[in-house]
Amino acid sequence: MPETDSTAVLRSERTKNIFHNIPSPMETAALLKKAGAEYDKSILNDVKNVDNYTAASRQALNLGIYGADLSYASVFNNTQESMLYTSCAQKLAKKLDVSNAFNEEVVERLEKNRNNRDSLLSIISETYWDVDAYLKENQRDNISALMVAGGWVEGLYIATQVTRHHDSPQLRQRIAEQRLPLGDLLELVKTYSPDDAAIASVLKDLEALQVIYADVEMPSGTSTMTEENGVATIGGTAPTASLTDDQLKAITENVATIRASYIN
Amino acid sequence: MKQLIPILALVSMLALPALSQAQCRSFAKNKCMPAMAPYKFNETFNAAQLAPSEEAEVDLTFYSGQEYRLLVCAHPILGAVNWQLADAAGNALFESSADAPQEHFDFKVATTQKLTVHIDVPASTSGGNNMLTVGCVGILVGYKE
Repeated sequence: MPETDSTAVLRSERTKNIFHNIPSPMETAALLKKAGAEYDKSILNDVKNVDNYTAASRQALNLGIYGADLSYASVFNNTQESMLYTSCAQKLAKKLDVSNAFNEEVVERLEKNRNNRDSLLSIISETYWDVDAYLKENQRDNISALMVAGGWVEGLYIATQVTRHHDSPQLRQRIAEQRLPLGDLLELVKTYSPDDAAIASVLKDLEALQVIYADVEMPSGTSTMTEENGVATIGGTAPTASLTDDQLKAITENVATIRASYIN
Repeated sequence: MKQLIPILALVSMLALPALSQAQCRSFAKNKCMPAMAPYKFNETFNAAQLAPSEEAEVDLTFYSGQEYRLLVCAHPILGAVNWQLADAAGNALFESSADAPQEHFDFKVATTQKLTVHIDVPASTSGGNNMLTVGCVGILVGYKE
């Protein structure tokens, strides 16, 4: 039965706790791997840049960027780079005073499990979760939002750069689908004060991307529930998302410009 | 001494949100995360202190071809909560009621889409002040590679 307007208003008034979901850099990297992407270390942020970030906003953005690089390197099982990016992320966490969540003990655990990919991925996810939670519980949500935005931008940058050399419908689909987390991210960033210059700047960047994504068609509508091989499956009738050459080019160029402004 | 008591009370009140959030993180990490195995949990920290009769909502993006575990975990002080997974049109795809609670729902999606998790903490039946009882509710998502 459809909700009446008054029911919807009542429900909205009672629902005071609306969480804003954040995109997961680790899941994005795993999706790229599944879609046939290859590992390319040359596209990642140079580890030498880590000492250049002195403002807290830049440290937060680049903590997200190095975190996404760390996820990408680890999902593709490149242990040596994983350790380098762990070190960068930890340095920035320390500068941001979140070493309570990302400390030497975490680095030691990562070192100890460097040859066990599953453990490595779990520790990275847990650490990212801890940093995000620690920032939120200390009312530093704006720093958390910048970190999340940096991580998402880097994930999209990696996806578009990989596609330049290894274009496939599967990779295009995953890039097209980023329209959904982009919407979530915008909602999250909009909850913070526009008086914060760093937040305002990131908001402007994301809105520019949203303009490009506005033409990307996404499946929507009613879902169906079936069971396939004993697993509940939520389906839909709409076709999968895809990108035209022009859309892909516009997204690739735009995200590269945004990302360059964050890392340089 | 008389002046010190209001100051201490104020300091306690200011420290309370951070403390309760820290407890929420600890609860979600220690009591909820282990139930995600064998799924890899994603890095989202969606947890909040809720009181009886309060509701919470989160939109989540699920990608085609992936297998997911969605887990809603409430502190025992609140008892079981009602929760529902619905599609963009508001149709319920999965429901867990406080009377017959299910901690998690395993599923996969054929088409990438945004789904909404809605949580409703039942009113307290103990007759006490509902607003004085708050507990952490965590929403965790895990996926299989």
